[in-house]
Amino acid sequence: MTFNSDRSFLSSFDWTLLALVLSLCAIGLLNIYSAGYGTSQTQTPFYLKQLQWIALGLIAMSVTFFIDYRIIARGAYIFYGIAIVLLFLVFISGYTMHGSQRWLSIGGFAFQPSEFVKLAIILALARYFDNHKSNKPYKLRELVVPSLIILLPFILILRQPDLGTALTLLLIAASIVFFIGVNWKSLAIAVTGILVMIPIGWHFLKDYQKERLIIFFNPERDPLGAGYHIIQSKIAVGSGGFFGKGFLSGTQTQLKFLPEQRTDFIFSVFAEEWGFIGAFILIILFMSLILWGLKIALHARDLLGIIIAFGITALISWQVFINLGMVLGMLPVVGIPLPFLSYGGSAMISLMACLGLLMNINMRKYVYHR
Amino acid sequence: MENRFSVLNTPDPGEFRQKFKVVLFLLLVIFSVLLIRLWFLQIIKTEELQQRSESNAVRYRKIQAMRGLILDRNGVLLAGSLPSFNVVYMPGVVKDHEQILNRLKSLYEKQSLPVEFDSSLPKSVRPYMPIKLEENIGMEKVAVVETNSLSLTGVYIDVSPVRRYPKGEMMAPIIGYTGEVCREDLKKEKGGYTLGDISGRHGVERVFDEYIRGKNGAELIEVNVYEREIKNLGRIDPVPGNNVVMSVDAGLQKVAWEALKGKAGAVVALDPRDGAILAMVSAPSFDPHLFNVTFSPEQWRGLLNNPRAPMINRAISGQYPPGSVYKLIVAAAALEEGVISPDSKILCTGAYRLGSRTYRCWRRHGHGKVDLHRAIVESCDVYFYNTGRMLGVDTIAKYARLFGLGSPTGINLPNEMSGIVPSQEWKLSRMEQPWLPGETISISIGQGYNLATPLQLANAYAALANGGTFWKPYLVRRVETIKGRILFEHKAEKIGTLSLSNNTIELLKNALWGAVNDKRGTGRAARIAHVDVSGKTGTSQVVGLPQDLQARKEIKFTEFQKDHALFVCFAPRNNPEIVIAVVVEHGGQGGSVAAPIARRILNAYFAKKDKEQATMAKKASDSRESY
Repeated sequence: MTFNSDRSFLSSFDWTLLALVLSLCAIGLLNIYSAGYGTSQTQTPFYLKQLQWIALGLIAMSVTFFIDYRIIARGAYIFYGIAIVLLFLVFISGYTMHGSQRWLSIGGFAFQPSEFVKLAIILALARYFDNHKSNKPYKLRELVVPSLIILLPFILILRQPDLGTALTLLLIAASIVFFIGVNWKSLAIAVTGILVMIPIGWHFLKDYQKERLIIFFNPERDPLGAGYHIIQSKIAVGSGGFFGKGFLSGTQTQLKFLPEQRTDFIFSVFAEEWGFIGAFILIILFMSLILWGLKIALHARDLLGIIIAFGITALISWQVFINLGMVLGMLPVVGIPLPFLSYGGSAMISLMACLGLLMNINMRKYVYHR
Repeated sequence: MENRFSVLNTPDPGEFRQKFKVVLFLLLVIFSVLLIRLWFLQIIKTEELQQRSESNAVRYRKIQAMRGLILDRNGVLLAGSLPSFNVVYMPGVVKDHEQILNRLKSLYEKQSLPVEFDSSLPKSVRPYMPIKLEENIGMEKVAVVETNSLSLTGVYIDVSPVRRYPKGEMMAPIIGYTGEVCREDLKKEKGGYTLGDISGRHGVERVFDEYIRGKNGAELIEVNVYEREIKNLGRIDPVPGNNVVMSVDAGLQKVAWEALKGKAGAVVALDPRDGAILAMVSAPSFDPHLFNVTFSPEQWRGLLNNPRAPMINRAISGQYPPGSVYKLIVAAAALEEGVISPDSKILCTGAYRLGSRTYRCWRRHGHGKVDLHRAIVESCDVYFYNTGRMLGVDTIAKYARLFGLGSPTGINLPNEMSGIVPSQEWKLSRMEQPWLPGETISISIGQGYNLATPLQLANAYAALANGGTFWKPYLVRRVETIKGRILFEHKAEKIGTLSLSNNTIELLKNALWGAVNDKRGTGRAARIAHVDVSGKTGTSQVVGLPQDLQARKEIKFTEFQKDHALFVCFAPRNNPEIVIAVVVEHGGQGGSVAAPIARRILNAYFAKKDKEQATMAKKASDSRESY
């Protein structure tokens, strides 16, 4: 099989997707620059570091882009296994920041396995459903293995504790399962099961997580504690107004009233400085990216491609929704970064790898085996 | 290998298309919700949130105005302001207060500076209410805090003026002190005070606060989340307060203060020609600087409950039985009412008998036959027992009121007391008991229920000295802006007339002169060279004495049971310019304790006047020569 000689293959390279992603990354860089503006520069500024991550991400992207996704999917269970091992390693020797143990140190780099777990789960589920094709909706019995595939990393990540990522995993998996088609009875049973689990799960939440959920419903109750993030974020976004305060001129950002401004609350930085116009354009960019991903899924040539493309789109969508809902004060602060904009190497590299797969699937929609 | 790619496993497109439509619909809903929310925050609520972002970062910092100066009549500084440096802590967003404060502590200790703050803050600190950690710190500490400001998040130096009183304790009872504005002042409708302002407490600082305090300025600054100043957005300069010029002579005040040293009591010196207070001392006193730093409730209670009452201005709030000083009033009443003539004589055997009780004269063996003049000069008690009985308590009360007793003089100071002028009606309404004849005996020598403040006594004698006019005593001559424009000037205010016949006034003045200058006068200790002093001593009992003479001798008095020593005088004899009232609590004899104090003040007053006249004369002759 030679794909590089095929002309339709090259001409069908997904420039749109690349352009969308690169503009999102560019906006992210501007914001990270603004968020770090005026602080003492004792180390490499974060926007330069993010640039490195983007470069590494592009390398990862080209890897997942060039190797046929069907070949990659063959290694799905191996990737999954590695991801689980890494999660265990985090447990054993990971280090702790902000009260949760999420990071592994590899060669001096902080590395967050949970970001890669998302992709590994998508691949593993795709592989499983591809291997167990069915014309009828799946019944509960047939969903036992996929459930285990999800639950193992879910529990490990929940225990770190990283409520946001754990929930994202669940949402991605649920999206895939819904998409594949589930027997309505089975769905009803599963939903009841989850409803029963909620009060039990509440028990396992850390105090700060419980507090965040409570404060979410009434953030003004604790304006300096857990509610502080939400309030300051709402103030930042709202005070931006229609045209924004201008690049490097957001007082909430520049005077550091906005917490976590490089990471989870990067959107607030943007909305404060670029206003409704800027935020609107950004949201349209995300929407385009997601619709583009759906289009790729719709046109994929096989079920494997459909599930992978849909799963990746779901991953990006849920993270965007949860993050925006959070910074706009509609959802609790659960600590989900905004894809391509938030500072962070692990997320950037794994997202770029996801995008590479999307392009991969898009490009091979017309390629048939000989 | 081959079959893995050979199966074209495209799923049923129809089914997936349906699901895509659902997904698309959901996506549109979610994105619409996000955009609507964005619209709501950035367009509808933007004004409110913009204000909140401003109040986040913009601080309104008050700039305390410098209080005006308080000067004595010659321009000597009595109160001024100096900058004071305070260490302030803004809890803000700092999470671990103790860590920051312990860091400050260890920085101090490294420089071996004393740590004068408590590093355990109360649990409920308000985030944007600054807490004063230390006040009025030295430059070493300022340097420590400033150089380590980066590691001391939320800790900063605040400069505010602090009041200085160069004359300290001796002026404190009349000048008062300053402190952070209290809740009552904040409630005042036209007070114009805001929280944290410095206002005058007690004395001139309080009464003239409106003039002295000036107008606070303000500064708008932009701060970051650590309360560090980023930008100055504007400033309104404070307007300094106005200067107050008092009628008091700091030199004379000092003489009086030193004369009273170690004793408790009061001295009032005033000018009988217009009521100007020249000196007003109350001892013991307090250090007005104590109130510059925040006071703990224990310290407060300690000061207020001190048995020696240092916070009381005894000159206007201390009420004492006037003792023989009161005889002047009884004598005036007797002459005016005609119960005696100046020449009628009464035999003093050393005792006066009423029923089973014996009232003694201070001179055990009696004065023999005495007339009015001698009775005042030698302060014969028996003479006044007789005249008092003839007058009756209500007539004495009438004359006491005529002399201004029983009501405040109206001096512009807080907490002036009115004293007590007892009468039959007064006793009936106050104690619901009828007046007893024996009580009139006590009243007629200024004992019993009689109470008067030193200022009242001074003012009573002043009216006699100046020929019958009551002037309202005053402490502040004028208030002027720092550029010298006069905002307030005291005008002599006549508040009453001592309506006695000239004859009576002359007789009484002669007798008072005699009391100081006659060989047997009780106030001889107040004589000074070149100037004729007139005055009256008084010794007022604090506790009742047993009837038995022997028992009297054996009594050992405690500190708070000894007699009060009083002396009131004026000088010179003709056209008096100064009236002095001295009260020494539990001091003993008026003639031997109070009169010498008056003498020191008189000496100082006239020595200074002579000097001034000499320089004036020299100037005059100089100008004549050069002419």
